[in-house]
Amino acid sequence: MNVVASNRISEKVLMMGNEAIARGTIEAGVEVVAAYPGTPSSEIIETLIEISNNFNYYVEWSINEKVAFDIAAGASILGARSLVVMKNAGLNVAMDTFMTLPYTGIKGGMVVVVVDDPGAHYSSNEQDTRFAAVYAEIPCLEPANQQEAKEMTKEAFEISEALELPVFLRSVTRLSHASGDVILGEIKKPLKKIGFNKHWKIPYRWNVYGPPGAVSKHRWLHLQMEKFKNIIENSKFNTFTLPINTDIGIIASGLGSSYAAEAISVLGLEGKLTFLKLGFANPLPEGKLKEFLKGLKILIVIEEGGPVIERQVRSFAQETFPEIKIFGKERKQILNPYGELNVDCVAKGISKAVGLQIKENQERINIKREIQKKVSPRSSTLCAGCPHLGTYWAVKKALQDRKGVHIINGDIGCYEQGGYGVFSHKINPTDDDSKDYPISSPYEILDTIYVMGSGIGMAMGQSQAGYKDGKILAVAGDSTFFHATLPAIVNAVYTKADITYLVLDNSWTCMTGHQPNPTTGKNTTGEMTKVIDISKIAEAIGVTCIEIVDPYNIEESVQAIQEAIDFKGPSLVILQRECALQVQRREKHKNPRTFIDRDKCTGCKQCLSLGCPAITFDNENKIAGIDSLLCVDCGLCNQICSFGAIK
Amino acid sequence: MFNMIIAGVGGQGTILASRIFADAAIRTSVTNGDNDMKVRLGETFGAAMRGGAVASHVKIGSDIYSPLIPEDKADVILGLEPLETLRVGLKYIAPGGIVIMNIRKYESIDVKTGQAEYPLISDIVDSFKKLNANVITLDATGIAIKAGTAKAMNVVMLGALAACEKNPIPYKIIKEAIRNRVPPKTVEINFAAFKTGFGEINEKLKKVI
Repeated sequence: MNVVASNRISEKVLMMGNEAIARGTIEAGVEVVAAYPGTPSSEIIETLIEISNNFNYYVEWSINEKVAFDIAAGASILGARSLVVMKNAGLNVAMDTFMTLPYTGIKGGMVVVVVDDPGAHYSSNEQDTRFAAVYAEIPCLEPANQQEAKEMTKEAFEISEALELPVFLRSVTRLSHASGDVILGEIKKPLKKIGFNKHWKIPYRWNVYGPPGAVSKHRWLHLQMEKFKNIIENSKFNTFTLPINTDIGIIASGLGSSYAAEAISVLGLEGKLTFLKLGFANPLPEGKLKEFLKGLKILIVIEEGGPVIERQVRSFAQETFPEIKIFGKERKQILNPYGELNVDCVAKGISKAVGLQIKENQERINIKREIQKKVSPRSSTLCAGCPHLGTYWAVKKALQDRKGVHIINGDIGCYEQGGYGVFSHKINPTDDDSKDYPISSPYEILDTIYVMGSGIGMAMGQSQAGYKDGKILAVAGDSTFFHATLPAIVNAVYTKADITYLVLDNSWTCMTGHQPNPTTGKNTTGEMTKVIDISKIAEAIGVTCIEIVDPYNIEESVQAIQEAIDFKGPSLVILQRECALQVQRREKHKNPRTFIDRDKCTGCKQCLSLGCPAITFDNENKIAGIDSLLCVDCGLCNQICSFGAIK
Repeated sequence: MFNMIIAGVGGQGTILASRIFADAAIRTSVTNGDNDMKVRLGETFGAAMRGGAVASHVKIGSDIYSPLIPEDKADVILGLEPLETLRVGLKYIAPGGIVIMNIRKYESIDVKTGQAEYPLISDIVDSFKKLNANVITLDATGIAIKAGTAKAMNVVMLGALAACEKNPIPYKIIKEAIRNRVPPKTVEINFAAFKTGFGEINEKLKKVI
């Protein structure tokens, strides 16, 4: 059984941060859970799905974060405890309700978990969503380790119910995707006591327009947060070590406090400075803060992400102790306001602020620099037999016959790797307006990548701006089709935009760990459900040029893409083939039949340009090979070898 | 305090190996009644599902807070792939630390297409010597294939680790942790892989002495 569902109270177990948040959720007796997948947050829901049979809550993968947020909010205003989970960028999608719900507040505890990604390991930006919690004027908790992740999740439900406000819990990659020891607590049974009262405690409670209107509800929100300021003074999550005669202090929050604690030990500064660990990034415990700042000359603020706490502390200190020198990510900068923290950079930052010299071993640094030259990059690749490899080869071929500087707008999903580039490929940028670059690999095929659904809109903008130097295309996957591209397709038909949208349909939401979606035929908990037909939706919207093709068949795919790009107006090509990894999971791996005919292979490396990781190359004998552990006999390389050497 | 980084390529079982070891560490602390002992795993994975560089930081001790090991502070680098061993080890290996390295290469697309060079294994070994680290190499993939599946390579490496003096976790407890984390049908294959990995390094270390 999954340890997250364990009844062995007080036992110490290893848990990922995301599992710890899931455990905190069931210890709080959650009733409704909704989310859209997004690394590094997905395991929270994966875990809650896996153990859902043992408990009495509803869990779903929603179509997008906005829908998920609304579901949690809808359940909560009836009195049900609800959880909504998303990654950093997901919050941008849910932002509309997120900003407005606090005006009416909620009834059953509602916790919004957002996992940020400092270092952009899995994300298109490093946005610090604690700013959004400040923006929405709601409490924001920030755990420092796995144990705290569990405790704070539980506490967040309590605070939420006490204040009648949604509560924000902000995790980060290095916490959510890291593991640590967690002591199990008691699991609470859901209350299952729901009801609806239109005028609950306040007239027109669940209606921001209801008289006397939004301003009065905004005022109510401020009163609630004022009340919370008193509660927060005594929170167990804001702790400080009292000084032994020192005028140096550190304020740190979340994972930043863990790095700071270790950096202090590395620098041998234990007992030489005071340390305030904040568990809340919003609001600050001002009474405690004032007590802490008294007598300090130097203050160092350490937090993962942007200067959320630092700005609040600066503003507070200006009124209380303006003489304190404050070091952080702004002005007296000791840490970068970009990238992620680690013990080394925090130690360096602290030593800079306090004027301590760190001894560096120059000889070792020089040796390392020499060795570093031998470390060649390892570019990320799509999987062996990935249908997107066929799609990208076909796109390349289809456009080769059409002169021009074509634009291929990318999107978010496994296929975004079509824009990752080959790390060791040196690029020479130019300032030409339109310029054609040869594409040597599928990893160089996408020209723009931003966020989910943005590619289709951008393609329309390019078309409406009158771009005539080449064809305008956009790609997006099946999950993205439903998540964010539907309004854009309606817009394209409505405005007669001359663009081609390639739907890379592999039936699963793959990059985040193969979650089901409306094209899968299964729902969140594995029950059979309707497959929602992408082509029929496009047809109903009014797209007249719709092609459906198997990306494992290169010739047909090239033809379908060419027909679509030659069509005047919006066109759609659905490249349909299930994810090769999912097929492999169902079927036992057999030794592949694909092999290289050594007599026919000329060593031209054309097969390598397919970008499949199962194709190897023996540089000594100048001959290609097939990695039998990886190859799935998809048949793509056979189709592209000009010498018939792959069989 | 014990610091180790397991380095490899996505799909090689880096994360599973680190979790097995961390489970074993927690079990050891419970067995010894050592309540102060903490375990932290710092992992980077997900986007690097297949073929990308993956490293897992493992920290065991009473005075640990963060999930990441500082530079030059890893007692052990368990390298499942040579280039990745060098990439990670170069930054983190402590002077006097030990590098245990599988010698089977997993070539990157950069190397295959001739845009980058794969370093020689002998150069990698020499590099670590220059950094005052000890290096032990083995063909863990070969051993795993003999045990029944190449997938058990990560467990062969855990066996190799168990044979080293720096390893703080008892052999038996790691073995139990393997049983709890690998698919039930593969327990025997994994036990064989673990035992052979241990035996191989145990022999090598005896010869050194």
